Amino acid sequence: MEQTGGGDCQNSGGVVTTAMSLLHNLASGLRSLFRKEQENRELEEELNGFLEMAAQEKIDQGMSREDALRAVRLERGSIGVSKEIVHEARWESFLETCWQDVRFGVRMLRKSPGFTTVVVLTIALGIGANTAIFSLMNAVMLQSIPVRDPQELVVLRWSAQGRPQSIGHSSHGDCKSTDWGASFSSSCSFSYPMVKEIRGQSHVFSGLAAFAGPAQLDLSGNGQASMVNGELVSGDFFQTMGVGAVEGRTLDLTDEKPGAEAVAVLSYAYSQTAFGGTSLGKTIKLNGVPFTIVGVADPRFTRLTPGKSQDLWVSISQVTALRIPWGGGNLSKNDRWWLTVVGRIAPGISLAQAQTATSLAFRDEVVHESLLKATDDPQVTLLPAQKGLTGLRSETEEPLFLLMGAVAILLLISCANVAGLLLSRAEARRKEIAMRLALGAGRMRVARQLLTESLLLSFAGAAVGVLLSFWGATTLASIVVANEGSRTYLDAKPDFMVLLFAIGVALVTGILFGLVPALIGTRANLAPVLKENATGVTNAIARGRRRIGPGGVLVVVQVALSVIVLVSAGLVERSLTNLRNVHAGFDTSNLLQFGIDPARTGTYKEEDVQNFYGELQRRLTYLPGVLNASYSSDPFLAGGLWTSDMKIEGRADKSTVEVQMMAVGADFLTTMKIPLVSGRPLTSGDITSTHDVAVVNRAFVSKFMDNRDPRGFHFGGEDSKDKQYEIVGVVGDTKYDSLRKEPEPTAFIPLKKSGAHFVVRTASNPTALIPAVRRALGDLDNNVPMFDVLTQNERIEKQLFTERLIAYLASLFGLVALILACIGLYGLLSYEVARRTKEIGVRAALGAQKKDLLRLVVGQGLALVAIGIGFGLVGALGVTRFLKSLLYGVEPTDTFTLLVVCALLLLVGGVACLIPARHATRVAPMVALRYE
Amino acid sequence: MADEPSDLVQGTLDMLILKTLALEPMHGYGVSVRIEQMSDGIFRVNAGSLFVALERLQRAGMIKGEWKTTENSRRAKYYALTERGRKRLDSETREWSRQVAAIARILEAS
Repeated sequence: MEQTGGGDCQNSGGVVTTAMSLLHNLASGLRSLFRKEQENRELEEELNGFLEMAAQEKIDQGMSREDALRAVRLERGSIGVSKEIVHEARWESFLETCWQDVRFGVRMLRKSPGFTTVVVLTIALGIGANTAIFSLMNAVMLQSIPVRDPQELVVLRWSAQGRPQSIGHSSHGDCKSTDWGASFSSSCSFSYPMVKEIRGQSHVFSGLAAFAGPAQLDLSGNGQASMVNGELVSGDFFQTMGVGAVEGRTLDLTDEKPGAEAVAVLSYAYSQTAFGGTSLGKTIKLNGVPFTIVGVADPRFTRLTPGKSQDLWVSISQVTALRIPWGGGNLSKNDRWWLTVVGRIAPGISLAQAQTATSLAFRDEVVHESLLKATDDPQVTLLPAQKGLTGLRSETEEPLFLLMGAVAILLLISCANVAGLLLSRAEARRKEIAMRLALGAGRMRVARQLLTESLLLSFAGAAVGVLLSFWGATTLASIVVANEGSRTYLDAKPDFMVLLFAIGVALVTGILFGLVPALIGTRANLAPVLKENATGVTNAIARGRRRIGPGGVLVVVQVALSVIVLVSAGLVERSLTNLRNVHAGFDTSNLLQFGIDPARTGTYKEEDVQNFYGELQRRLTYLPGVLNASYSSDPFLAGGLWTSDMKIEGRADKSTVEVQMMAVGADFLTTMKIPLVSGRPLTSGDITSTHDVAVVNRAFVSKFMDNRDPRGFHFGGEDSKDKQYEIVGVVGDTKYDSLRKEPEPTAFIPLKKSGAHFVVRTASNPTALIPAVRRALGDLDNNVPMFDVLTQNERIEKQLFTERLIAYLASLFGLVALILACIGLYGLLSYEVARRTKEIGVRAALGAQKKDLLRLVVGQGLALVAIGIGFGLVGALGVTRFLKSLLYGVEPTDTFTLLVVCALLLLVGGVACLIPARHATRVAPMVALRYE
Repeated sequence: MADEPSDLVQGTLDMLILKTLALEPMHGYGVSVRIEQMSDGIFRVNAGSLFVALERLQRAGMIKGEWKTTENSRRAKYYALTERGRKRLDSETREWSRQVAAIARILEAS
């Protein structure tokens, strides 16, 4: 009853008291668990005493001892009953019955090892797949950043209702990028002067760190030259992160001052692998500049942004010395936005206050420098770093969610499968259960026992599944890492979160597949079960003709879910085939690519680089097995794209248009086998000439030149002082950055800068030539490292990674789903045939032919499959639209795929029906009837 | 009918036990006898419910038990009220009177 007033104080006191008594209760409960014997003895003694005393009173009043004891038992209850009552009132007795159930369950399961193994493996498959994908999600999305108090870190993101004027902007995959329009722009990149300005708001942030990277740095002075991932960080980066050095020191603000000594801090992993752990004090050359290794960072600091790991850190003030083009190679430029900024809000300052102060500083700076107008409402948002630093997450999120969906379906199928098995087992145990119910066990008590068995099964399955997932997740992670590049950091080992997930899934799974069979199995209708043998044939036939039973429903569910997975797999598989068959516009086979950048070593000036490229090209061409060799500014189909806004002569519309640009060496078009349509290709003369010429593709001509002959026309920057290129030839269309995009207007111009990707056309397998190509480069200059050594087809496969991964896994899951569904169907039909032996015997005796009996069983099975396919198709139509971004050249409702999947299921389902059906035809009528 | 023992109002046994023990420490049988006497035989407690309640109160720290010898030189567990139990008894008694008065007012309203 509610109190009506005046009880507030008492109430809060009551909560404390309740909590205290709860603790008390718990403690004494636990104590009595351990001292059960003694407790019970004491209770018995007390009860005994109680009854004795009561009896004594009656004896004193003149009753005989015997009569007195009987009277007391009647009045007060016997010792046994009272003991039972007290026992049951204890909470620990609940645990005891649970433990009883568990032991009984284990005994029951051990009695049928075949059944147990099948069920545990089925669940292990479902839970293992889920845990594996969850481990990856955990690694990419949930694991907290390994720094001090990661929840305090915020990342700065600016936005404006307009786009900043004439700024150089670069980002390095730390934040989610947004497409900029005329009325909106946003990013996480800031200029160095802006960082200093915000850092000036020292009362708002207790720490503020800026960083950019990784920069691919050419490291020499430690054996063979190699490329390393170096991050440029502000001096207070490590202090802000709260990351210390395991050896030596980290960086500090003095390292950020211009003219500071060139020092580097190595990551623990890199120090171990490249220096065997003895890197401290050594001098290395980065891009030709000597750096002293002053420290090795804490081994726990494996990453900041998910998926991005660094080999070493240097101060941002080294950007000029390292000749890195970001920030214009100069810290003072406020129109170069390239630094990601992460900070810790000072104690006592709210997020809103910090946001306002930062926004003000940002607005002042950009408006003052006329980069943005005050009316654009430039402002800064502070996002939790865990959420704001996306990194690998932004590209893996969607495929991971898709895979999670697929494995969830897989888990549902295994649940349905196991539920089916449990159902037939419950049928087989009907007599046992009916007996227990008849002996007075409550229905809930028996259901609880059955549920305990399911939970035992699901937890055993989960245990095996977690082992499976460990293997699966690390394999998947290594595949992802191999594709993203060796420096990608992904820790997919199961941690606390993963285990929690597995336990949660096991619990839900156990209840999911156990509940229905438990409830159906304990449906109390004892009499007919206990006198089963009296059940007549007519009764059996009547039951055989019933609508689809719960077992049938489960098979339908499995088939339907399998259809969804298989259709998805089929669609992605077809898209993959389509993508692989797309004509890129050039010959992708027997083509080796690698990147070099001689100017990074510091020994080449821009003009020497051209001679270096020319010489390397000549030497490569002379290698046996090489047909042609050339180079370009960007590799094809690697995701990178260079576009430029150009004004085109002879075009009616005078505004600028976007043109895809690629700077190439001589013979590039011949090497790539891009067909020349008209005019001439670019020659080595064009590279040295001061006259700027270009070759454009067909799309350029049709889109911008109205299909006129473009030769002699010029295009170039909007300003007449900008470079203007004369068109000298037209070539066929090619894909540039992505296989999925239709060819866009593209111009090829002579390459005159450092930094190029070589392409080598070989007569046969291009990978066989890698050592020879390396030697050729080493002979020319051993200090210039090769990077991104890949064949063109490897590049394409890399670009199709997501599609490949999803297609592969979805096919695998589809196959497993198909097998599970067929096992479910087979199990159900076998059970039905066994149950209907008598009926089948009667049919046979009455003259039913083999084919009639076959039809009876197969018909029942295929009917279930057909219903399942029907539901599955409806489901697939609903689900496949989520795949749209992965599909290419195929509609989510592709008839062909749907038909193939239906045919496949009918075929395999038919096979699954055949074995039980053949059993049915072998039923000997006499045996079946005698069985009665 | 009045002579027949009747069932206790739900949830009042704990309070009655506490009240009984507030006078002096007592063993289980003593508690039941006293409840019976004080209620003029209206309430009779059977052993099962009594010991469930005693154990519950003991676990909640309201009472504590100690083995002693009775006047008939029999070993019995004597229960005594703890400080916490005394407080609980006070608050329950107050609450009970409030409720009884309220119920009485409702029933007497005509």
